[in-house]
Amino acid sequence: MDFSTLFIIIIGSIFINNFVIARFLGLCPYIGVSKKMDSALGMGMAVIFVMTMASTITWLIYTFFLNKATSIFGIDLTFLRTIAFILSIAVLVQFVEMVIKKAAPELYKALGIYLPLITTNCAVLGVSLLNINENYNFIESIVNGAAAGVGFTLVLVLMAGIRERLEYSKVPNSMKGMPISFIVAGCMALAFLGFSGMKF
Amino acid sequence: MKEFIRPTLVLLIICVIAGAILSLVYKQTAPLIAENKLKTEEAARRLVLPDAQFFKPISDSSTVLFYEGYSTDSTLVGYVFSCVQYGYSNDVKTIVGLTPELMISAITVVSQAETPGLGANSTKPDFTAQFSGKNPDNIYVDKDGGDIQSLTGATITSRAVTNAIRETFQKLRDRL
Amino acid sequence: MKAIQEFTKGIIKENPVFVMALGLCPTLAVSTSIQNAIGMGAAATFVLVCSNIMISLLKNLIPSKVRIPCFILVIASFVTIVDMAMEAYVPPLHKSLGIFIPLIVVNCIILGRAEAFASKNGVFKSMLDGLGMGLGFMLAIMVIATIREILGVGTILDIRILPASYKPMIVAILPPGAFITIGLLMGLLNIIQNKKKSKAN
Repeated sequence: MDFSTLFIIIIGSIFINNFVIARFLGLCPYIGVSKKMDSALGMGMAVIFVMTMASTITWLIYTFFLNKATSIFGIDLTFLRTIAFILSIAVLVQFVEMVIKKAAPELYKALGIYLPLITTNCAVLGVSLLNINENYNFIESIVNGAAAGVGFTLVLVLMAGIRERLEYSKVPNSMKGMPISFIVAGCMALAFLGFSGMKF
Repeated sequence: MKEFIRPTLVLLIICVIAGAILSLVYKQTAPLIAENKLKTEEAARRLVLPDAQFFKPISDSSTVLFYEGYSTDSTLVGYVFSCVQYGYSNDVKTIVGLTPELMISAITVVSQAETPGLGANSTKPDFTAQFSGKNPDNIYVDKDGGDIQSLTGATITSRAVTNAIRETFQKLRDRL
Repeated sequence: MKAIQEFTKGIIKENPVFVMALGLCPTLAVSTSIQNAIGMGAAATFVLVCSNIMISLLKNLIPSKVRIPCFILVIASFVTIVDMAMEAYVPPLHKSLGIFIPLIVVNCIILGRAEAFASKNGVFKSMLDGLGMGLGFMLAIMVIATIREILGVGTILDIRILPASYKPMIVAILPPGAFITIGLLMGLLNIIQNKKKSKAN
């Protein structure tokens, strides 16, 4: 097991190429759910779980059904990956929704509409596609999915913390709400730029 | 049970129709895509070795190591090889042309994801032109004591290109 | 609503990016150059119009229980068609846009319009709605891309328009530039909206 590659993937997806701040994936929930720390953390946990499971399932589907070299069909079906991936993600999210509804009803209520919206979170489909593009093997894909989710949660929680403080600041009327959130995100992106160029 | 049949049937029918249409479009476009890929690779080879008319790949079991370039009357006009090294953000891939005397004829950077305005300028002739005529065995960036001028603010990218060329050349030298 | 208004509402009044805050991921990622902006806008508009038309045609056949998976299937099919067509006919644009082409399928604008409009309205109106929203989306990306390209590189569509002595503000084409640009633009729009409101009062 090549732990150094895995370590690089983890640091890469959380800090250097953070999915929200550097790759622009997962912005809608980032702006929508990051108003309070609790819901941010809850959403983050759900996303980590979905992204890890999605990476696993989509890698398996790609390797055994779509990729000509390894599939059981032996023909090139890679053009079906968008459809296959998004459908499996949709099914996965439905399943997670049912589980959360039964196991943690307060969390279910707190997340509200944002839970089914994880299906359309570009980060979930994005990480599945990126795993394929980078030719990661099974373990690397799962680790990348989890790390990407952690990166998303990190930035989400940071944003929620800042926004809670912003409630008490003097923000000009026209900048209240989304405009100032984007500016804050820009400052965070500037800070995270410092991570790029990290070499091991 | 009945309430599940109709939705499932509708989903299945849409799946099948979608699959059929996509397969048709795929049949149309797949050959074009493969052709485009070959064309760009060929174009890059021509760019670094303009006198060559056709290229002969020299492989080793499954991978192509380099190409020999021949003119119309089958004289050897040079070699072409590709090299890649991780720069600042991602891999930087370069195609290098060599004269029969194993000096660099020209290079072209075909793929990079470096910082726009800094490392991304590695594709520009201002940077790549200086490699022509140099000995690939002995190229280093100025910061490492050589005579390759690095890009402003992009030493790592410049070093990636230079070192990739030198190291790959040294690996292939015996086969050329 | 009169038919023509279905088309124009998407451009300014209900602009998907600036007013409804949908489709933010591709907007910020692709706005590094005006060429990418136009390419993405065109691709997304094509998918939006086709899927709106198709869903409007099928709206009475799709059972409500499975409508979201059906919408996703239809949208994903058109996205795959666009993906393959772009790779075959415009490979450089396909390479620049990268994974954001398949990501059109999770562009909230397309699923949003399918759910909110196409599944409840006729084919012609759905087509107009799709065209308007798509155009609004493309215009939004183009505005941001123009600012970022001029400040960050000094060119418009690769034609240099600022003097060579201008040292480009590289941060504009990096991620922070995207966030700050859209934040300032939204703030500007709010100022304009508030002025209009106070005039009306």
